[in-house]
Amino acid sequence: MTENSDKNSIACSSGIELKPYYTAADIPEAHRARIDVAPGEAPFHRGFHPSGYRSKPWRIFQLSGFGKPEDENERIKFLLRNGETGFIMEHDRNTGDHCYNVNHPEVIARREDVGLTGAVMQSVRDVAICMDGLPIDSSFGHAGGAVVQHAPFALAAYWTVAKQRGFDLGKIAGTGQSDFNLTYLGCVTKEQIPTDAGLRFNADIIEFCDQHLPRWVPVSIAGYNAADTGLTPDQELGTLFANAVEYLDEIKRRGKMPLERAARGCGGVSFRASIHIIEEACKMRAARLMWNQLLSERYGINDTKVSNLRIHCVTAGSKMTYQQPLNNIVRGTAMALGAILGGVQSLGVSGYDEALSIPSEHAHQMSVRIQQILQEETGISDVTDPLGGSYYVETLTAQLVEKAWQFFESIQRQGGYLAALDSGWLHAQAAENQYQEFMATESGAQKIIGVNCFREDESPFHVDGFMGTDDAFDVATERLNDVLRTRHESAAAKALKQLELDCRSDRNIMPAMMDALSAEVTLGEIGDVYREVFGNWNTPIQT
Amino acid sequence: MDNSQKRILMAKTGLDGHWRGPTIVARALRDAGFEVIMIGMANTNDIVSAAVDEDVDLVGLNIGGHIDVAIRAIQQVQATRPGLPIFAGGTIPPHAAKELEALGVEVYPPGSQLADIVDAAERLTGTK
Repeated sequence: MTENSDKNSIACSSGIELKPYYTAADIPEAHRARIDVAPGEAPFHRGFHPSGYRSKPWRIFQLSGFGKPEDENERIKFLLRNGETGFIMEHDRNTGDHCYNVNHPEVIARREDVGLTGAVMQSVRDVAICMDGLPIDSSFGHAGGAVVQHAPFALAAYWTVAKQRGFDLGKIAGTGQSDFNLTYLGCVTKEQIPTDAGLRFNADIIEFCDQHLPRWVPVSIAGYNAADTGLTPDQELGTLFANAVEYLDEIKRRGKMPLERAARGCGGVSFRASIHIIEEACKMRAARLMWNQLLSERYGINDTKVSNLRIHCVTAGSKMTYQQPLNNIVRGTAMALGAILGGVQSLGVSGYDEALSIPSEHAHQMSVRIQQILQEETGISDVTDPLGGSYYVETLTAQLVEKAWQFFESIQRQGGYLAALDSGWLHAQAAENQYQEFMATESGAQKIIGVNCFREDESPFHVDGFMGTDDAFDVATERLNDVLRTRHESAAAKALKQLELDCRSDRNIMPAMMDALSAEVTLGEIGDVYREVFGNWNTPIQT
Repeated sequence: MDNSQKRILMAKTGLDGHWRGPTIVARALRDAGFEVIMIGMANTNDIVSAAVDEDVDLVGLNIGGHIDVAIRAIQQVQATRPGLPIFAGGTIPPHAAKELEALGVEVYPPGSQLADIVDAAERLTGTK
């Protein structure tokens, strides 16, 4: 919430002015007819399912990973034991995001960083260690590969291990995300393929999943990464749908699969849940409504199984404070509440030590406990869309829809989502918002408890950064050398050559990627092919 | 002395591209008149070369990873240009902040005030 100089004027994060209270007359005319539509019915703003969380509790789904693959495996099992109901495999940022092996000079120069934010997985052997004993047949798994250029490797590795363990790919459920917002907007890598090559990768994944993995969410657009970079909730919505349009238009252009099935595949998305509880709940309602509108109006898709958006949500990491970190347990709870009131199907709560490091075991456990307490003790799951019909909530939902479509149109005027990434237009929007948000904190107009006010801290607990393990680089180096020494070299070379040929052609790269992983081709070798064939994205911002 | 005569090098020690923090800090330093040279994700050699070639008066490091990576860059800068002041921001947990402070590096963790960072830049470059 930001206050203007006029004390009576208050706006939510999206810049929509809020009234002291609302009446029926405030609800926009076009939205009134929708108010009595039941949850589970189009246009779905009231929820994905009539009985909501009574029959389908939201999935407890925490980002996790560090160190060696076995460290990550152990942490994931810890979370599952503590009640997590899906699991996420996080790959190391230095190697994974950049498609480098550990022997790359830029990685060696930062060897202590390796494994700090995800396990180092350079070959299918590493991924097999990380997946050891995980319930991949009965659980929703996140294979990693959140970064576009890394996704084909991470997905193919996960699927290859699943096949080796005897599972039918046609039956396993999960996602790998493969999200542009993450590294083209929010957390820009040092090197990555240009956006047009990334679009081709994602379309390849969508088509490959359509043929082989019908239960897999091939790409999952992450509004989170746009929002935590600085975009406001309305902009987060507009950006997410502008991104979805890029995928659907590309699939339509290729004409190889029914658009309905591609839309179903793109309809599993993630959002950020920030701290303005009601606005965030309205955002989730608005998102479902907008997806339904987009598919119906732009693509003529009215199948309600397709136009019913599925939402994963993560609480805003950037709202977690370094000072008095235990206060973040309250912030995590408040943000989770907004997401749940908005009816999301899956949720991750950031660790209370988010501003210091990746989550410690205790912080991770607390993120699960927050969700369990909300789910089991508070009665929040009893009634679907508990805010439905509120004059305020219905008005703000409708206003967000309108404002988000305006931002969507602004992106279209820039030439579309990918053009707005290439030009740096989206980065400029985010940067300006970041600065304004920061200045509001600096001036004290926005109070942050424990940071710019009420700084006295009596906590008897000293929270320090969790640093994972210190042998990730050395073990990864040994294992890389071991793979290169013991694999069937001519098979690996042949598979890598085929991958390169397919990258240079317009063939779908995923079959060759699967063969490459089976032949134990390593991450960095695949990255070298990308760098050779596709070149490097011209980053529009100075990081 | 005028801030505009002072040059500040800003770099990220890790391969982690979160740009929110350093971008806001760079803007505040530029608004205060400093010349800011941002080189983004840089390894120790890049940082030391830039500190020499650009003849900077202060080095600002954004640290998003392991403290030992930053310490290597800091020690190399200190060996090459003794006395050049260094300050740092980012997700630096308390134990790591202590290690940096022991090397004479001022630490501004998340939640720091921009006014304090600008004030430090003026003090460390001797304009104040």
